Amino acid sequence: MLDIIKKKLAALGCDAWKLTETVNRGWEFYVIRDRLDQNRATEVKTISVDVFKSIENGKFLGSASGEIPPTASEEEIDERLAALLYQAGLVKNPYYTLQDKQVDVPEKREPVDVEQIAENFFRAIRSVEQTKTEDINSYEIFVSEITRHTLNSNGVEYTCTYPKSTVEMVVNARKDGHEIELYRIYTSGTCDAEKLRSDVADVLRFGRDRLTAVPTPKLGTGAVVFSTGDAVEIYNYFVFRMNATMKYRRFSDWEIGKPVVENAQGDIISVEAVSSLPNSSRDYPVDEEGAVIRDRWLIRDGVAENFFGSRQYSQYLGLQDSSNVYNVRFSGGKESAEQIRRGDYLEVVEFSDFHVDPMGGDIAGEIRVGYWHHDGKITVVTGGSVSGNMLEAARTMTFSSETRQFDTHVIPAVTRLEGLRITGVADVE
Amino acid sequence: MKAPFSPYLNRITPALRALLEDLGRDYEYVSLLSTDSVGFSTSISQRSKNVSGKNMTTERGTVVRVYKGGQYSECAFNQLDTARVGEKARKIRCELEKQFAMLDRAGMSAYETGMLADEPLELFVEKETEQLPEKTDLSTLVEKLTALSGEGVKTIPGALDCITSASSTHISKLFLTKNRFLRQSYVYTEASIAAYAPNEQGEMKIVHRGVSGCCGPEILEGLKEKLSELPETMQDVLGAEKIVPGEYEIIADPTVTGLIAHEAFGHGVEMDMFVKGRALGAEYIDKRVGSDKVTMHEGALCAESVTAYVFDDEGTLAGDVIEIDHGILKTGICDALAALRLGTKPTGNGKRENYAHKAYTRMTNTLFDSGNDELEDMIASISYGYLLRGMQSGMEDPKHWGIQCIIDRGYEIRDGKLTGKVVSPIVMTGYVPDLLGSISMASPDRRVEGNGACGKGHKEWVKVADGGPYLKMKARLG
Repeated sequence: MLDIIKKKLAALGCDAWKLTETVNRGWEFYVIRDRLDQNRATEVKTISVDVFKSIENGKFLGSASGEIPPTASEEEIDERLAALLYQAGLVKNPYYTLQDKQVDVPEKREPVDVEQIAENFFRAIRSVEQTKTEDINSYEIFVSEITRHTLNSNGVEYTCTYPKSTVEMVVNARKDGHEIELYRIYTSGTCDAEKLRSDVADVLRFGRDRLTAVPTPKLGTGAVVFSTGDAVEIYNYFVFRMNATMKYRRFSDWEIGKPVVENAQGDIISVEAVSSLPNSSRDYPVDEEGAVIRDRWLIRDGVAENFFGSRQYSQYLGLQDSSNVYNVRFSGGKESAEQIRRGDYLEVVEFSDFHVDPMGGDIAGEIRVGYWHHDGKITVVTGGSVSGNMLEAARTMTFSSETRQFDTHVIPAVTRLEGLRITGVADVE
Repeated sequence: MKAPFSPYLNRITPALRALLEDLGRDYEYVSLLSTDSVGFSTSISQRSKNVSGKNMTTERGTVVRVYKGGQYSECAFNQLDTARVGEKARKIRCELEKQFAMLDRAGMSAYETGMLADEPLELFVEKETEQLPEKTDLSTLVEKLTALSGEGVKTIPGALDCITSASSTHISKLFLTKNRFLRQSYVYTEASIAAYAPNEQGEMKIVHRGVSGCCGPEILEGLKEKLSELPETMQDVLGAEKIVPGEYEIIADPTVTGLIAHEAFGHGVEMDMFVKGRALGAEYIDKRVGSDKVTMHEGALCAESVTAYVFDDEGTLAGDVIEIDHGILKTGICDALAALRLGTKPTGNGKRENYAHKAYTRMTNTLFDSGNDELEDMIASISYGYLLRGMQSGMEDPKHWGIQCIIDRGYEIRDGKLTGKVVSPIVMTGYVPDLLGSISMASPDRRVEGNGACGKGHKEWVKVADGGPYLKMKARLG
């Protein structure tokens, strides 16, 4: 099919093109309590086509993207490609070129044993220690072998095969007729049984504690500590603002060589883009445009060092040797996790949905389970919300020297934001 | 004009029938859902322009559901050689057998379920539309969106850029079993206009409006009127203060009302959650969950919105369910398998992100009914509170009936009058029965919006619409 499309694009006089064929072979399992609700198998081939058209003698470049179904007839392929070429002429963006540097890393073609990975997940989950009062309500397992073949009109070509897995899990805890639940979604390359078991054990403990929770006091403002995957939202704020697209479109006002946080009094942010992280769900060395992903600092010692991004926006910013970035590693802070957890603070281990708006910096989340540390006492709390803004919070943000990996992100294990608004439910005693 | 049903699906129907027959030799029940949906999406700003022949609902593929010995299984694929259907059937059997062998090794047992009814029905519906996305003059459309973006930057105070976007899909779906042959074709379209500007503290603020409906790209003409509302909204947001956390009397505008409907008793009564014991709603049927002012409908038949289909992704006809009747919870919404397990009837709410995804119980149109109170009277009745406008996002908590809504902005009301003070953003949280129980006034007008997408947990994104009138209630804001 790719050869047919290439020939047709040439016949249409297309100035430049990019093709991406992705084959996703997946196994899925849905379990209620310990019984199989449904099993599913999928095999989906996606052929994405990007066509480019030079406008006004190369002053502008138009582009349009679409898909050609694998079942498309020759006539339909003709129609779809002609439509794309027409559409490409409708959008005038400043001129840029497609990836032209040949890929200098080996292709990644190791087959993925979907069956074995799925079995490993089942064995890992079923080995979690459950009790009469804390157990797993339901879970879903998704395991895929993904093969992506990218090629463009400049002769750049690359194929990679990689695994991607997701487990969604709901945990219950109950006492005296009262039952609560907690929710987790884990994404990774393959099954890391030990990590999964350890995290689920933590969630079961949070569930047990939630049963004794009291309404969150009306604390006004205070320090909030993050130690779960929710903290990735905080760190994505920094990654987002180093993205060339966001910089070019003025969503980010950060500049190379300048501090990303003015008057920083807390720990200093450093983040490195890395081509590979162990068991990341996006562990491939070449991006979707055929650019090799090279390790580089995005922010070092609090100072913006490299923007990153797609070919188009990287060229607009004049970036050399740029690429998209999927895996990032943040450096740890000066103090240990134990030291970060000092004095009075609220550690929230489960939100309904924790969100940091990377553009505006607004922080928001409803508290499902938190531990309020006050005067040396620990009270489990629930209800109310945490809110604030990263522009302010980043100045006094501190984080642990220990780091922890959440799929594509290595981040400090414990993060502390000062002065967040804590909208409680109960009056403070 | 009628939105014509997919010629591709008509062409492969004999092959699908042959596949059904072949698999029927081994399985007690077999169904197929085949889709062929085409469309476009475009996004125009002053600094970037994109056009694409795909969007979140364009797709072509097939999912086969089979049943044997109390167990349901599915195979999804998008490659079908109509001359080699037997081979496809063998591949499906083989893949599922490999899965069952692995499940045996892992010691898994089945959640046994009865067999779906297969009552005879033939249906062929092509809904009306003025335009088809695949025939739309994108050149004119891009010109209009470009002009609107330019006008936005000129008229909206402080705007760094203004993004106009539109997408439209012509959906064709075919559902086939031994006794059922259903086909539907319809078009839905949505568009939005958003501008962003930094406030004095350097925080980027975004304002937006949208239009949507079960119709063709002709609806995009409504964007210009929406743009005229944005300058004032941006002014309000740029000058906004932070709210003092606390419990307030509030008036929710129709977008906030819709968000509350969606998060409170949308997700809260998705009955596949009842099967798992994950929803408190199961224990509250025929009990009070809101004030007398609260009546809530759910169903694809409730409004001609982005999700106004004729049958769902399991071949169940669309419905209109009264979930809450004057404060009393009457029923939930249900996909076909959850209905079997609960001994009830499906409501036409079995939806998939696309053919390759599992069907879950999902929302369609979730709407509060209107009342008789004028907005002015609602404002006059508040001594200290806020008129909340514009939704950002929300999160459900069906097990504990917590609710989280992130809202754009609040307009302060003191002694029955708007003071001109604006707060933004706002996190609204609370306990759903308390929130709905506090609803004391509802306006006569009702709006339905469908510019967003809804996930189940943190995945499985589908189009939904929601709305209602202005509602007065009490809520915790932070």
